[in-house]
Amino acid sequence: MTRFIESTITFPYKRSLGPVVGAFMTALTEKQILGIRCQDAVLVPPMEWDPSTGAELPHEFVEVGPAGTVESWTWVAVQSEQHPLDHPFAFALIRLDGATTPLLHAVDAGNPEAMSEGMRVAPRWRGTRAGRIDDIICFVPGESVETEGEDTGGAAEPVTRMDYLASITYRNPVPEAADRATEASREHRLLGLRCPDCGRVYAGGRGLCPVDAIELGPECEVDLPHKGTITNFAIVTPVQYPGQTETEPFVRAFVLLDDTDVIIPYSAVIELPADEVRVGQRVDAVWASPAEETEEGGGMGGSWGSLLGWIPNGEPDLDDPDLVNRIF
Amino acid sequence: MSTPPVAVVGVGQTHHKSRRLDVSFGGLVREAVFRALDDAQMTLADIDAVVLGKAPDLFEGVMKPELYLSDALGAVGKPMFRVHTAGSVGGTTAIVAASHVQAGKHRTVLAVAFEKQSEGNAQFALGSGKGASLGAGGAFAPFIRAYIQRSGAPEHIGWKVAVKDRLNALKNPYAHLKIEDISIEKVKASPMMWEPTRFLESCPSSDGACAVVITDEAGGNAAAAEGRPPAWILASSSRSEPSSFPGRDPVRPAAALQCAADVYSAAGITDPRRQIDTAELYVPFSWLEPIWLEAFGLAEEGEGWKMVDDGTTELGGSLPVNASGGVLSSNPIGASGLLRFAEAANQVRGAAGEHQVDGAKVAIGMAYGANNQYFSTWAVGSSLHPFD
Amino acid sequence: MSAPSTDIAVIGWAQTPMVRHTDKSETQLLMDAITDALTPLGLQRADIDFTCLGSCDYITGQAFSFVSNLDAIGAWPPKRDSHVEMDGAWALYEAWLRLQEGDIDIAVVTGSGRSSTGDPALIYPMEMDPYFLAPLGADPLTFAALQARAVIAAGIADERRMAEVAVRARGTGDVESLLTEEFIRQPLRRHDVPPITDGAAAMVLATGERARQLVERPAYVTGFDHRTECHNPSFRALDDSPSTRIAAEAAGLGDAPVEVAELQAAFTHEELLLRSVLGLGDDVTVNASGGALKENPIMATGLCRVGYAADHIFGGGNRALAHATSGPCLQQNLVCILEGRS
Repeated sequence: MTRFIESTITFPYKRSLGPVVGAFMTALTEKQILGIRCQDAVLVPPMEWDPSTGAELPHEFVEVGPAGTVESWTWVAVQSEQHPLDHPFAFALIRLDGATTPLLHAVDAGNPEAMSEGMRVAPRWRGTRAGRIDDIICFVPGESVETEGEDTGGAAEPVTRMDYLASITYRNPVPEAADRATEASREHRLLGLRCPDCGRVYAGGRGLCPVDAIELGPECEVDLPHKGTITNFAIVTPVQYPGQTETEPFVRAFVLLDDTDVIIPYSAVIELPADEVRVGQRVDAVWASPAEETEEGGGMGGSWGSLLGWIPNGEPDLDDPDLVNRIF
Repeated sequence: MSTPPVAVVGVGQTHHKSRRLDVSFGGLVREAVFRALDDAQMTLADIDAVVLGKAPDLFEGVMKPELYLSDALGAVGKPMFRVHTAGSVGGTTAIVAASHVQAGKHRTVLAVAFEKQSEGNAQFALGSGKGASLGAGGAFAPFIRAYIQRSGAPEHIGWKVAVKDRLNALKNPYAHLKIEDISIEKVKASPMMWEPTRFLESCPSSDGACAVVITDEAGGNAAAAEGRPPAWILASSSRSEPSSFPGRDPVRPAAALQCAADVYSAAGITDPRRQIDTAELYVPFSWLEPIWLEAFGLAEEGEGWKMVDDGTTELGGSLPVNASGGVLSSNPIGASGLLRFAEAANQVRGAAGEHQVDGAKVAIGMAYGANNQYFSTWAVGSSLHPFD
Repeated sequence: MSAPSTDIAVIGWAQTPMVRHTDKSETQLLMDAITDALTPLGLQRADIDFTCLGSCDYITGQAFSFVSNLDAIGAWPPKRDSHVEMDGAWALYEAWLRLQEGDIDIAVVTGSGRSSTGDPALIYPMEMDPYFLAPLGADPLTFAALQARAVIAAGIADERRMAEVAVRARGTGDVESLLTEEFIRQPLRRHDVPPITDGAAAMVLATGERARQLVERPAYVTGFDHRTECHNPSFRALDDSPSTRIAAEAAGLGDAPVEVAELQAAFTHEELLLRSVLGLGDDVTVNASGGALKENPIMATGLCRVGYAADHIFGGGNRALAHATSGPCLQQNLVCILEGRS
């Protein structure tokens, strides 16, 4: 039974609008809709460039609407979390009065029988407007402009930026090799997979040999030692970003397992301050106690499972300067 | 093998800054495009195809931006292509654009690469939003440690590269970071980021774009006849290797060695150190300069740091590297590779302005991506047969 | 400027089982597809001179997702290699251009994607105009519906003919009962829209001489072109597909009849529109494979169209057309013409 991991990539993007979209968004806060002149046409929504040639357009804005005519529409019976309304609505191409091209937006018609090509619609404005396309909550049938909630007026400054929150959830399969490595780690086993073609051994649930491009199944499993030597390391000074967990410089060490060519890369270290880590240092694996076990594993994360990291074991350092080249 | 000659006849780039709040997504790209077209004395109508390169779309939260940018780039009715090879993408963009012309399919092709990464957060995107991210430079710290041990390079080499590139940037009107009072002391005093790499030895995060106009032999000759010498593309190559497996050497990667060999043999370069006049190498962290000098055969193995130490790679030296200030000075990630290729082209066109290397006839531009895995390189010359 | 060589051919391809949902990762899918494409030709990964992968970070859910896909290639010693953030059909275009340079013989291109990983209704709005369309969550079903409306109004399609396309594509169903189903985004019903499919495809391209050494009947690429249109559907006439027309003309569709056409039509009305724009009469067999309405492995769907067109040539046919598309309302279109030789 394949396990799946759900992960959500969320980020609050902040866009700069440039002169044309900026003017449009600023006007929205004033409950005005602008198009831009493009030769004989009035483009809505307004673009910086002529869509057919790419030529830069002079900033000749034309106020359009507020009402317009539905040119085409479709009914959204089941709305997504990104849609403008939380009940069924129509998406429509609406040609605002004075515009040559139609604007896509929502129409809150109540039911599809109320929608028709050629019907008139007018905007329902948000009371507090930020300078985003959804300052128009939606359009409504008829000629009368609506405002929902208290009208807090236009923006004090020209609008130059726009927020966009992107959030998408993914379900990705955990390959069998990764799961077996995690399972083995619960028994405090460090699992490797030996490629039958080239003999290289891969740890960390990596179920394929990238040299021979073959999958490595359970028949390739070997148990790896829990002792090793630090060959190289990175000391990372953390930068702040949404989701960052670190505040102090932290170590990620490369551990060459005894009697093998297997190197565990970017390993967490335990009771080893950044200013004491050395090439040649001898370390032992540290495993999570049953109380610390989590679905996603300990300090190493991912398919390392219960492997929390590596701790100096007091043995004398290996004196071999060439160790630093053992990275992969 | 006989590939028809192709030439670079126009180069343009934006003023790279940490945040280009004055422009929209399309506005940023068009700034570079129109500069390149002006340089080529062309308009959008002269372009037959567009190749767009960019780093992960997660950086800006716009998926497949070649779709949104089709009309912005004047590509309506034309082919529009989007490549993505991690950090080397800008280089790959130029190579694929040249391939469009070399195949005899399109006459004049616009290569464009950009990043508007201030709209998101590059560290976030690189770490896919997880905590304890290695950050941009964490992956390379071990490689640098290994290089220093192998070569016996003294600790000041990284600082010297940083000072050199930052001084060069002062001569590049488009560069992002301009640190007037840059010095070894200032670099040493800057915060440690990924030991041994300090803040001033690291690249910035920039918004920026670069565009290059590539055309066929007739177009190159026409530009030359009008007193606008082109850069002839002598050879190019893209090579990749897997991210990790026992036996992989990220300090002297086989893919880099092979990429260099591909380019040198096709271009007739038998003695890179003597035959190449200047190089734009992808150096986002200072120590990568000696590493790439060696991997690209400009220095013997273990000797790259000496070329830094004795001033060879300075603007006034015998093999200037990153006369533009390099990635250390401007790093709109998707565009950085194309900037290397474009700056190399400008050198042999004599169009590099204040950071021109005198008499440069042959130059290489190089970009890499991911864990020192993806390599793109081209060699350009002021003539098609510069060694005759 | 000399024209591209027509002596470059598709010599084989393979696809993973096309399923609603696979437990395999994208890299595993690619590994299988590449092996299955090479084995019948007696080739190994070491024989590949150039690889070009097509995939999309946002579908997979990770920045730089294509880097792990490199493991499926066996890029050691290091390979000449590239990647496009586009359907594998465009990766094929890059490889075709590369082989024109004449210094290498064999290229492998791939397209891969696990559409079941995320919800297309939430992902695809992110490819739309970031200021005016993405913030409304304007999704592909909505745009397809608006185009369907336009195509019906122009008389190029109607709901009955759309249902007939669906029945033909899937080899199952009854037109009358399909027409009684509810709309899901009028005028589109469930049968008018593509399935969600996980899968990958790999294709082998070779220069003429090498192709003739390896297979009996190579499928020569005699025409290959792609074009784009402006992005926002508001600015386009949705009852037409001018970029398809231009690409087909540039690819030489008009030079001779095609027997078979594989069109990447994810929606039933798209097939009817594309048939009309390409001028394909009843004598042309369209989407014998079932097309994207039957199996829609995003990022590989277009490449699979080329594969099925190539199969027609391998099986003795003379001339076939493959089409691929990207973007809302057929914004960008690719046409590839394959021919056999006697």
